[in-house]
Amino acid sequence: MSDATRLRVGFIGLGRMGQGMANRILEAGHDLVIFNRTPEKAAELVKKGAVLAPSVSAACQGREIVITMVTDDAALREVYLGAGGIRESLSPGEIHLAMGTHAVGEIQKLATAHTEAKQILVAAPVLGRPDMAAIGQVSIVAGGAPQAVKKCDPLFQVMARRTFQCGDKPEHASITKLANNFMLGCAIGSMAEGFSLVRKYGVIPQVFYEVMTEGLFAAAAYKVYGKIMVDEAYDKVGFTTLLGLKDFGLIMAAAESARVPLPSGNAFRDRLLSAIAHDDGNKDWAVVGREQARASGLE
Amino acid sequence: MRVGFIGLGRMGKGMAHRLLSGGHDLAVYDVATQATIEFAKGGAHVASSVEDLCKDREVVISMLAEDSAVNDVALGRGGLCASLPAGAIHIASGTYGIATIRALESAHAKAKQTLVAVPVLGRPDLAASGQLGLVPAGPKEALDRCEPLLKLMGRRVFYAGTKPEAASAIKLANNAVLGCAITALGEGFSLVRKYGVEAKVLYEVLTEGLFAGAPAYVGYGKTMVDESYHKVGSPITIGMKDAVLIAGAANLARVPMPSHDVYIERLLGAIAHGDGDLDQAALAKEQSRASGLE
Repeated sequence: MSDATRLRVGFIGLGRMGQGMANRILEAGHDLVIFNRTPEKAAELVKKGAVLAPSVSAACQGREIVITMVTDDAALREVYLGAGGIRESLSPGEIHLAMGTHAVGEIQKLATAHTEAKQILVAAPVLGRPDMAAIGQVSIVAGGAPQAVKKCDPLFQVMARRTFQCGDKPEHASITKLANNFMLGCAIGSMAEGFSLVRKYGVIPQVFYEVMTEGLFAAAAYKVYGKIMVDEAYDKVGFTTLLGLKDFGLIMAAAESARVPLPSGNAFRDRLLSAIAHDDGNKDWAVVGREQARASGLE
Repeated sequence: MRVGFIGLGRMGKGMAHRLLSGGHDLAVYDVATQATIEFAKGGAHVASSVEDLCKDREVVISMLAEDSAVNDVALGRGGLCASLPAGAIHIASGTYGIATIRALESAHAKAKQTLVAVPVLGRPDLAASGQLGLVPAGPKEALDRCEPLLKLMGRRVFYAGTKPEAASAIKLANNAVLGCAITALGEGFSLVRKYGVEAKVLYEVLTEGLFAGAPAYVGYGKTMVDESYHKVGSPITIGMKDAVLIAGAANLARVPMPSHDVYIERLLGAIAHGDGDLDQAALAKEQSRASGLE
């Protein structure tokens, strides 16, 4: 990679997703400085040539783009606002690329704060699982000033299979990501209702699964989560009920502040709550299938 | 086989043609005699009444739009129960409610006939080319006898069980999941639009991602993005008719279906706003109305 195309990148947050994404950037030949609260998680990347920074502030020094991939809004505020945080440490004109799933309100506040500090916020949450992140097969939804988004594009290309341009504000990306999760949750909730209905009429769930997934619903959302319901394999956890509730909290908050009633979302959120009330919070969120069955007197 | 076919509407026409071209001895009947002309030309016997149609038939297929229509045809004077020979099979292929299927099942049993329910999945073009999905349920021996006919009409056969109502339950549940998907799509589009994101962007994210390959999302989502609600596949009023059957089935079996209830409310709202004849995708319009976007 020539010096002209080599980007100076900082990467904060090396969880399961972050590690895979950072590795893709490193392997593409960019200049990568990394930071994680538990430095052990950085070992693999350091072996491959990444520089481990001792602090957030050090991870921002001389960087053109600093990526954050942190679990929630509180963690984002901590690395951004605190003493030695990104706000204090990133040079004017440089980009903070926020890639976690965050509240729309949080991203709006963050965008304003960056503008005040003459820095640029780009939001680019990720769709996909850690195994997909490791091989650059996730999708990215990006939002922010077009010039800044364009500058991030070489990174998007190595991290993702496909990048969707959502609009010129960071919040455009946040809401698109939340809407995608919303659609998935609603699909899970309605499938659960369908399974309970057919079971009550003596149908083997597998038959209904085949009708759906070989017909109108021949898509990953229905195939993956329908299969978990058919097998009742709720202990093999991809995404927990508790995390689902957290996401639906973000979705309903965004909907409330924009004045958009989401009755399907409310119905699904209530099923999540009941599942958690029945101690299924740490199961895969497809366990809503069991919660629905419980509500139907089937369990 | 000696087969009778009642109800030559857009779906029935294609299915009956498949049976005729498969070499079966076909008799047809439709109250709209116009629909029978092409079958007379093709060598089918055009019956003058349901009673006439039933003579010597081993199997009679009904493909009618409403529960009341199939009730009349099967249970009325000169109807299937009164006219079919003992041992004959009635294949009910429309989308009917559980109560109707149960009533037909017991009436046929009394007349020493057998009811098989075979609701179909697919559109008229798929019916014409024999590419439908079929969901049969009924006594095994009867299903075995129907198999040559099912193979002509469908690409894929999903056996639902030995009780005819099991097939209805699957068809209704599939429609319920579709209704919920349409409703949720409307909600998703309203949400992003309120934040200034073009509907098309969410459409691409969904249909190139988790929902890639699902005709429900690809088709209805596109209609919502284009707001082409006047190009009607299945109108809102038909959705409402099916939703009432679904709610009836859920009530009979004691299954709370909150997402489906939401769908019913949106259907009602759309009809109240004069959109009953639009495509079901117009639920997105009803949702955006509720969000102050229209």
